[in-house]
Amino acid sequence: MFYSPVITNASEAAKSDKLHLFRYVEDPDQVKVATYEQHGGYKAWRKALTGMSPEQVAETVKNAGLRGRGGAGFPTGLKWGFVPKNSPKPRYLVCNADESEPGTCKDRVLMERDPHAVIEGMAIAAYAIGCHVMFIYIRGEFNHSIDRMEAAMREAYAAGHLGKNLYGTGYDLEMIVHTGGGAYICGEETALLNSLEGERGMSRMRPPFPAIEGLYACPTIVNNVETLATVPHIINHGAEWYRKLGTEKSAGTKIFSLSGHVKRPGNYEVELGFNLKKFIYDPAFGNGIIGDKKLKGVIPGGASTPFLTPDMIDVGLDYESLTVKGSMLGSGAVIVFHEQTCIVWVLLKLIHFFHHESCGKCTPCREGTAWLEQIIHRIEAGEGHPGDIEAMDEVCSNILGRTICPLGDAAVMPIQSAIRLYRDEWQYHIDNHRCLVDTRFEFK
Amino acid sequence: MADSTKIETPARTVETVTFTINGRTATVAKGTTVLQAAHGLGITIPSFCWHPKLKPVGACRMCYVEIEKMPKLQVSCATEVTNGMVVFTESDKVKQGRRAIIEFTLLNHPLDCPTCDKGGECDLQNLTFAHGYDDSRFAFQKLRKIEAGVPSTFDDIKIGPEIVLNRNRCILCYKCVRANKEAFGEYDLGAFERGNHTEINAAPGQQVDNPFSGNLVEICPVGALTNTDWRYKIRVWLTDQKASICPFTSSGTNIQFYVERHKNRIFRTTGRRNDAIDDGWLSDVTRYGYQIIQSPDRLKTPLIKKNGKQVPATWDEALAVAAARLTEIRDKKGCVCVGGLASPSLDNASLYTFNKFMRVAMESNNVDYRTEYRRLPSSLDNPYDIAASQAFTIADIDESDVIVVIGSDLVREHPNEYLRVRKAEQFNRSKVFLLNPLSTKPSDVAALELVHKPGAEEIAISAICLAAMESGWASGVNADDLKSKTGFKKAADAAGACGLDLIEIQAVARAIAEGKKITIIAGELVTRSREREAIGAALCNLNRVFGVDGKGQMAILARHANSVGAARLGLTPDLGAGFAGALKSIWGQYPETPPQNTDAMLAAARKEELDAMILVGVNPVMIYPDREFAREALDKLDFLIACDLFETETTQLADVVLPLAGWAEYRGEYFNLEGRLQSAEPGIAPLNEARPAHQILESLAEQCGSPLFAGMDQRNAEMEKILKVDIRRPWPTGLIEVKPQPQETAPERTVALIMGDDPHHSGYLTEKAPSLVGFCGEAYAELSPELAAKLKVGAGDSVRLEAATGKIIVPVRVSEHIDNDVVFVPRNFMAAPVNSLVSRKQRVDWVKISKVSD
Ligand SMILES: Cc1cc2nc3c(=O)[nH]c(=O)nc-3n(C[C@H](O)[C@H](O)[C@H](O)COP(=O)(O)O)c2cc1C
Ligand code: SF4
Ligand code: SF4
Ligand code: FES
Repeated sequence: MFYSPVITNASEAAKSDKLHLFRYVEDPDQVKVATYEQHGGYKAWRKALTGMSPEQVAETVKNAGLRGRGGAGFPTGLKWGFVPKNSPKPRYLVCNADESEPGTCKDRVLMERDPHAVIEGMAIAAYAIGCHVMFIYIRGEFNHSIDRMEAAMREAYAAGHLGKNLYGTGYDLEMIVHTGGGAYICGEETALLNSLEGERGMSRMRPPFPAIEGLYACPTIVNNVETLATVPHIINHGAEWYRKLGTEKSAGTKIFSLSGHVKRPGNYEVELGFNLKKFIYDPAFGNGIIGDKKLKGVIPGGASTPFLTPDMIDVGLDYESLTVKGSMLGSGAVIVFHEQTCIVWVLLKLIHFFHHESCGKCTPCREGTAWLEQIIHRIEAGEGHPGDIEAMDEVCSNILGRTICPLGDAAVMPIQSAIRLYRDEWQYHIDNHRCLVDTRFEFK
Repeated sequence: MADSTKIETPARTVETVTFTINGRTATVAKGTTVLQAAHGLGITIPSFCWHPKLKPVGACRMCYVEIEKMPKLQVSCATEVTNGMVVFTESDKVKQGRRAIIEFTLLNHPLDCPTCDKGGECDLQNLTFAHGYDDSRFAFQKLRKIEAGVPSTFDDIKIGPEIVLNRNRCILCYKCVRANKEAFGEYDLGAFERGNHTEINAAPGQQVDNPFSGNLVEICPVGALTNTDWRYKIRVWLTDQKASICPFTSSGTNIQFYVERHKNRIFRTTGRRNDAIDDGWLSDVTRYGYQIIQSPDRLKTPLIKKNGKQVPATWDEALAVAAARLTEIRDKKGCVCVGGLASPSLDNASLYTFNKFMRVAMESNNVDYRTEYRRLPSSLDNPYDIAASQAFTIADIDESDVIVVIGSDLVREHPNEYLRVRKAEQFNRSKVFLLNPLSTKPSDVAALELVHKPGAEEIAISAICLAAMESGWASGVNADDLKSKTGFKKAADAAGACGLDLIEIQAVARAIAEGKKITIIAGELVTRSREREAIGAALCNLNRVFGVDGKGQMAILARHANSVGAARLGLTPDLGAGFAGALKSIWGQYPETPPQNTDAMLAAARKEELDAMILVGVNPVMIYPDREFAREALDKLDFLIACDLFETETTQLADVVLPLAGWAEYRGEYFNLEGRLQSAEPGIAPLNEARPAHQILESLAEQCGSPLFAGMDQRNAEMEKILKVDIRRPWPTGLIEVKPQPQETAPERTVALIMGDDPHHSGYLTEKAPSLVGFCGEAYAELSPELAAKLKVGAGDSVRLEAATGKIIVPVRVSEHIDNDVVFVPRNFMAAPVNSLVSRKQRVDWVKISKVSD
C-alpha cells in the first residue's frame, strides 16, 4: 500500500513529549495493528473499558478541555454528556471523515497513516456514550483512507479490539465503514446522518440535535477524526497532562494544514496558540512565501473563515485569539496568498465552490450563493457595475445567520471580510475593468 | 340530524405555555409552533414550505419572525412557543427578511404568470404582491431547466399519467417530495442535483403514478406541478366551489368541486381538509372520479325494450311501462315476485325511498344493498354483523400505539385509513401488524407482516387468542373454554394450520396485550369471504380475550360511501322484530313475506320464482361473485328495471333502463364508516335527462298507485325516526364457537385468486374517468417473480386464468410483494371480468394459470 505524499512534522513530534498525534505517522508499519500496539496502541481502549466507567471517560475528556476539531470547536466531553442517560433507544457514534473543506487535509493523514488511532478513539468515545455500533463516514473520493480504515478495522476485529465481549467485559462493539456521498455538505453533521441513512445529503433543522435524535432518530454523537484520534492520548496521560498543552482555553495540540503560497506546504501538529507568523515563516513549517514575495493575506481556518491581512498575523493559532482578530480557527486549514494574488479571483473560486456545494434546501443559501457567484464573476471578468459591491454586501447579509446550516454563513464570511479588507481592489476591478495585480493566483 | 354514533374521546389535560405576540398575550398548548399559534390567533405569517400535515423543514425561510433575546430571525414554522417568549411578526427586520426571501425566490423564477395555470391561486404571486419588491435587481440570465431533446413551449415535462412538471417555476419548497414520503410512503418523485441546480423530478425510470399523486399538484405552491385534468381549461377565478363528499370509499372524504360560474360543468376536485377524516389528502380516485359524471357515454334518455331491442323513450313512457308491469307482477296472487337491489353508494334519501318503495309499494321484503358478497347472512344477528357494527373513529388511528389490520388490502379498500395508519407510524411511532393472505401495501411501515394461507383468517385470529392465553399476556377468558371454542388445543397447532410461525403469532398477541390504545381494522377480505361469520366469531373472541373494547377500537369497516346508511335505513332484508316493528309503526304496514337477500333473490330468479327486479346503481353481472350465475338469473326475469349512469352488462339485460343522476348532480347525505353524517352539495344540475334515484322511485311508486310521501318533509321526518333505531350490536360477553372452515385443498396446478380493487380503479364506473384510466390502464394479473418464472412469463406476456365457471386472459405484472401461491386480479375491468372465475360455493377461488402463447 502507498499513501498520499505530504510533508508532516512527524520527526519533531517523535522527539516531543507534547505532540502526540503525529508521532508515528512517518512509520510505514504504524498502520499494522502489531506495530500500533508496540507503540502503546489500544492501551487506552483497554484501560477505559476494563478500568473506567463511561462517565469517568466522558469526565476525563471534559476535564482535558478537548474541543471539536471539525470546525465548530465545541467541547467534546460536554457534547457526549448530552446523550440522554435513560433513553431506551440504541446510541450511535459517527466519526466524521468527510473532510472536504478547501484547504483541509489533516484527517486524511491520520486515516492513511495511523488508522488504529482513529479506531481506538472511536471505540473509547463509543463506550463513553454507551454505543454498540459505530460508523465512520469517509469522504467517497478518499480511496486510500477507505482502504486503510477497512484494513485496520479488520485487523482490529481479528486482534479482539472490536467485536463481541471485548477484553472479557461483555461489552460488544461493531464498526461500520461507510463511504460518503460525494458532497461537501455531507460533512455537515445532520446532512451526514441523512446520507448515512440513505437519504439525500441535506441538512436537518436543529433542534432536535443529533445527541438527542440523530441517526435513525436515535441519540448520536458526531465527532471529527482528529478529535477522536486525540481521545486515546487523553485517556493514557490524563486530563491534567492535556490541559497543560496549548493555551488556557484552547487546550491541546492541533494539526494545521498549511497551503497556498508558502515554500513548505504540509500538515503540522503544533500546540494551540502557536504563532501564525512563525508558522508561515519558520523553516520548520512554511519556510516563508514562494519567491520571497510579500504576503497579501491568510485564511487561517479553511475556506469558510474570514481573511487576515499581513498586519494581523502576529496572532496565536487558537480559538480565542483568532476570534479577536475577526476570524476563526475552523478546521485549521491555513491558506496563504502572496501579493500578486487577485482577491476577486480568489473569492470567485471560493464562491464557486460554495454555490456548487450548497445542498439546495434553504432559499438564501441556494439562491444567494449563485447570485454572488454571478456578481463576482462579472467583476472578475472586468464587467462589474457600480453598486456591485454594495449589492454583494447586502446579499451576504441576507444570507448570514438566516440559513438552516452553517454552510450559508461559511460562504459569505470570507466575502464580507474580503470586501472589508480589500475594498480598493474590488473597486479598481469595477472602475478599470481589469485586475490590480498582473499575475493570477497560481501555486508554483 | 345529529351524529349519534360518534364516540367522544376523553379530554386530555394538555400542558400550556404563555407567550406574547405583537403585544398580545396568549396561551397555547406546549409543542405548538409560533406559526401555528399565530394562525390560531388570526395573525398570518407568510410561508411556502410549511404544510399542516408534514414535518417542518424550514427550507423556504419565508416565515421569519423576530423573537426577543434571539439575535437572528427565526423560522416560525419550526420554532416552538416557549413560556415568556416575545414574538414580533411585523417588525422592520422581519419585513426586510421576507423581502429578501421573495427576492431570492424570484431570481430564477420565469415570471410567466400569464401562461401559468397556477395564476390566481399561486402562493408566490400572492406573497410577492404582499411582501416583495416592485423591481428586481437581478440582472443576469435566468437559469433554465430544460430537457435536452424534448421540445416544449413552456419547458414542461410529463412525469406521470396526470402530472406535468415545470422545473423553472419550482421554488424548491420540497412539499411534494415530503408529502410523497412522509404521508404516502411513495418514492416515485425526488430532488436531484445541488444548489440552485436542484430540481424535482420523477425517480429515474419511474412515473409519478402513486395512488395519491394528485395531492402533489394540489399542495405545490406554484405552477411547477399541474395536472392535465385541470390545466389550461379555465382560470380559477372564474369558478365557484361546491362542497361535496367522495362517493368512492366509505371514509366520506371531504372534497370540493370547481364549477364554472353559471355553467353546468365541473372542472376539478380538490380537498376540503377535515382533520377528523382526511387531513386534506385525496386518493386519485377521489380526485379524478368526478370525471365519470361528465362522460360522453352517460345514458341520455330512458330506454324501453321493444322486440328484444332497447330503444330511447321519454320518461313518461318508461315510467308508465315500468309501473304497469310492476303492479301486474306485484298483484299476482300467492307469491312474492318483486325484488330490488340498491347501491350502498347512494345517498340516504335515495336508499330510504328505495326501502319504502320495495316494502310498501311492492309489498316485498326482497331488499338488499350487498351485491358483491357471497353467502350473506340475511339478518343482522350474527357475529360478522356484530363486529361490523362497532364504533370506529378514524382520527383515533393516529393515537393508537398498536394497530392491527386483519383481512384488508388497506390501500386498495380504504386509502384514507391507509394514510392514517402510515401517519400513526410516521408521527406517533405506532406498531403496525398486518394479517392477510397476501402481502399488502403498508408492509413497509409494519412492525410485522403475517401472510397466512388463503382462507384461514379465523384460524389465524384464534391462534393469536390462544397464544396470549398460553403466555399469560391475556386473561380475559377461560383457557379451556377458548380451546374448545376455537377447536385447537395449542396456539402452535392453530398457527401451523394457517401457515404461520408461532413466534409471529406471539409477537402480535403480545403487542395487543401490552398496547395502551389499540386499533384493529378488518376489511373486505373478511367481508368477501364465504366464511365471514366464522371470522366474525373469531373477532368477537379476540375482543373478549384482550378486552379491546376497553382500550381502543375494533371493527370490520364498511366499504362503500353509504354502507352504514343503507344498514341504518333498513336495507338489510331481515330486519328482526324490533326494527321491522319500528318501520311498521311509521308506515302503518310492513310486508309479511319472507325476506330474501341478494343470493336468495338471484337463486329464486334462476328458478323462475322471482319475476321482476329493480336495480338502482348496481351491476350484478360485473360484481356478483359468480358472473354467469348472476347473468342467467337476471336473464330469466320477466321484467327487469335497471337505473344507472351508463350502459352496463347488466342494463343490457333490462326491459326498462332509467338514466340515473350521479352524486355530484344532486344534494345528498351520507354516513361514513364512523357513522358520521355529512352532506354533499351538488356540483352541477343533472346532465341530459338523468334523475336522482329518490325522484325516480317516488315517481314510480306514484304511478304504481302507492305514493310514498306527501312531500320531502314527510320523507325526512320518517328518516329521522328510523335513524333512531340502534342497529349496533354489543360485543358478546362470552366466547363464541368458531367453526373453522379451512379452505378446500388446492386442486393440482392451481393458485388462489384474490380479487380486489386497483388503487386507481374502484367500482365499475371509474373506467369512465379518463384520468383514472390513464393510471390503471387495463386489467392485469399480479404474480410473484417465482411464479412468473415457472410459467415462463414476464412483462408484456399474458396469462390465461381458468376456473370451472369461466376464463379470462390478462397481461402479467410481476410484483415482489406477492406470494407464490396467489395471484391478484383487479375487479371491475369490463374487458377482464374476473368475477367470472369466482364461485359462490368455494371459500378460496382456485384457478388454473397458464401462459398465453401467441
Ligand atoms: C458545510 C459543513 C461542512 C462540514 N464538514 C465537516 C467535515 O468534513 N469534517 C468534520 O469533521 N466536520 C465537518 N463539519 C462540522 C460538523 O458539522 C460537526 O460540527 C463536526 O463533525 C463535529 O465534530 P467535532 O465536535 O469533533 O468537531 C462541517 C460543517 C459544515 C457546516
Ligand atoms: S445553508 Fe445551504 S447547505 Fe445549509 S441547508 Fe441551507 S442550502 Fe443547504
Ligand atoms: S414542485 Fe412545487 S411542491 Fe415540489 S418543490 Fe417545487 S414548488 Fe415545491
Ligand atoms: S414556512 Fe418556515 S421555512 Fe418555509
